[in-house]
Amino acid sequence: MKARTAMLFAVVAGLSAAAGVAYHLWSRGSGAGLAMAPDGVVERVLSARVADVKGGTQSLEQWRGQVLVVNYWATWCAPCREEIPGFVRLQERYGSRGLQFVGIAIDQPDKVAEFAIEFRINYPLLLGGLDTIELLRQAGNRAGVLPYTLVIDRKGNLVSREQGGLKEAKLERIIQPLL
Amino acid sequence: MLCGFARAAEPELLEPDQAFRFAARLKDARSIEVSYQIAPGYYMYRDRFRFTLGPAGVKPGEPQLPAGKKHRDEFFGEVETYRGSLSILLPFEPGETGVPAIQLAAVSQGCADIGVCYVPHEQKAELRLASLSTGATPSDAASGVLFGMGLGADDARVARVFEGGFWLAIASFFGFGLLLSFTPCVLPMVPIVSGVIIGTGQPVTKARGFLLAAVYVLGMAMTYAVAGVAAGLSGAMLSMALQNPWVLGAFAAVFVALALAMFGFYELQLPVALQSRLADVSNRFHGGHTAGMFVMGVLSALILGPCVAAPLAGALLYIGQSRDVVLGGSALFAMALGMGVPLLAVGASAGALMPKAGPWMETVKRFFGTVLLGMAIYLVSPFIPVSVQMVLWAALLMLTAIYLRAIDPLPAGAHGFQRFSKGMGIIALVAGLAYLVGALSGGRDILQPLAGLRVTASGTAPSEAPFQRINNSAELDDRIQAAAGRTVMLDFYADWCVSCKEMERYTFSDERVQARFREMTLLQADVTANNAEHAALLRRLRLFGPPGIVFFDREGREIQGLRVIGFQPADRFVAVLDQALSFRR
Repeated sequence: MKARTAMLFAVVAGLSAAAGVAYHLWSRGSGAGLAMAPDGVVERVLSARVADVKGGTQSLEQWRGQVLVVNYWATWCAPCREEIPGFVRLQERYGSRGLQFVGIAIDQPDKVAEFAIEFRINYPLLLGGLDTIELLRQAGNRAGVLPYTLVIDRKGNLVSREQGGLKEAKLERIIQPLL
Repeated sequence: MLCGFARAAEPELLEPDQAFRFAARLKDARSIEVSYQIAPGYYMYRDRFRFTLGPAGVKPGEPQLPAGKKHRDEFFGEVETYRGSLSILLPFEPGETGVPAIQLAAVSQGCADIGVCYVPHEQKAELRLASLSTGATPSDAASGVLFGMGLGADDARVARVFEGGFWLAIASFFGFGLLLSFTPCVLPMVPIVSGVIIGTGQPVTKARGFLLAAVYVLGMAMTYAVAGVAAGLSGAMLSMALQNPWVLGAFAAVFVALALAMFGFYELQLPVALQSRLADVSNRFHGGHTAGMFVMGVLSALILGPCVAAPLAGALLYIGQSRDVVLGGSALFAMALGMGVPLLAVGASAGALMPKAGPWMETVKRFFGTVLLGMAIYLVSPFIPVSVQMVLWAALLMLTAIYLRAIDPLPAGAHGFQRFSKGMGIIALVAGLAYLVGALSGGRDILQPLAGLRVTASGTAPSEAPFQRINNSAELDDRIQAAAGRTVMLDFYADWCVSCKEMERYTFSDERVQARFREMTLLQADVTANNAEHAALLRRLRLFGPPGIVFFDREGREIQGLRVIGFQPADRFVAVLDQALSFRR
């Protein structure tokens, strides 16, 4: 009788432990990294209206047909800043062949403006809001991390999604065949 | 096809809630302690915290942020960051009295060493100000702990079990101590121990007996308090590891093992050799002297019988998990005092007051086993889905009910205790059933297991405008047809969509929004499953996922320019609804 009581509880405990472990594995598997992006991400990214530093709004639609590199970043995000000088160089080198960088900052306008001057940014900087963050999550960036970079070809196909710092050489390899 | 871009070698990245584990508790009536457990390899910015409090009138003061580690930042100059565990004191002005709870929203920013930062992340907690009832009897307090665990399991980020309830915790531990003294290996020892305390030969007065017993109990309590402090300290040092699911899982397993000991599956006690050595030492002190009694008390606490060892280990593990040194020391001190109560009673009454030992003490022992199993569930609850938690609680409650003979008929001449136990059993059985039904009906709230049922019930009530579920394009057309000229609103929803839930909770519930909803046909597409039909529906509306709210006129054409993407507060949403309704003609 006693042993059976104990067995029952042991079974319950064992099941609960197994469930916990299974859930943990499952949540890691489908966790915070890059999830699959649903179709139509590009359309959403291009059509979203984003504030600019001057107080108006812009959409990325105006750069449709170019090779577009959309970089989500922030001035307070150190890893984001590291990759930006490389972006500036690439924009300078390939801008005339149809490469367009756009930076969307999750940040305060004054900081972004200050940063643009200090780092001599030669491409448009826009200011993302809460909807941008939601868009980021839907684009497969479930944990909502910066920097996050989308590469879109001339036909509007999503060619690459990069989470975390992007080396100049690597990005160059991605964009060269698209130009 | 896009899956190809998800690199296999992507370093594992935690969800922000896991990277920056958030907890808040009321420190006193004027300040909140906000704490973060920052996962290894992650850090937070000191100057990026923003705290807001609700309801209106409750004003946050200047948060007291500890000094961080300083870095030179090329752009910001000097920047301070935090790693490991972080505790921030947030004073506040309570505003008008009678506010039952405070809502805290904390926005923070942090990064991972692998080279990414998280977008500003908001975490919320509700802090209950409700005063604790005073004069709770120990047994009340004991059940208070059990219930408290249920509360805590509801949301690990909010409300540590004893949030603001320091004295409740102390009272509970006292109650547990008292109960422990009624286990089969403690109570029969009381007359023997009291004999030793009073010493041989000379008769003592009641006052003298009580004094000697009290000194002995205090000595015992000191040892327990030291153990509690040690547990709290080691918990504080291991705080990082204690957030790890595997470690917590292991702890839960230990609790289950301890519970099995309480069910009599095996006996857990200090090695007999060690016990007798300690007994020898304590026997060298002769009874009758206060100083000697104190030392005897100190040493006797180390002689752990099989009934005490398991619950004590459980209590220490629990204290370790709470990482609270003061609570640890005080709680264990209180527990030892509780354990000493029968001894004090015997001392004071010179042996007249003494409960009779009997098989009922086995029940007390099993009660501790059940509590330990409950603690095991509580420990792993942050890492398992609520539905699984509910099933576990249901299993525990229902099995307990069966052992309380909830469904066995009472014998004709049943005495009071049997009736009481059956009553408790039935309560446990019904509570267990509620959890099981709740889990099976998709309940997501451990405090309101049947809330899932209520939602469907009130969905048809006139007070709340009902959403009709649609799953595909064809159903959308049908419903627009059936709307017969009414404006149609289609809301895309998914379980993972945070802003959808915020919309539901804060915006849809608004009185003005509800009033306008009654003039519309409301459709909702739950695209959590994201099957082919869902994808087609989203494509048709050029949406690629929730959140998204689209309006249609009587011809079934989308009303352009009125889409609502993301969260919108009620004020703005009402304006959108008015515009949509104006298209009705």
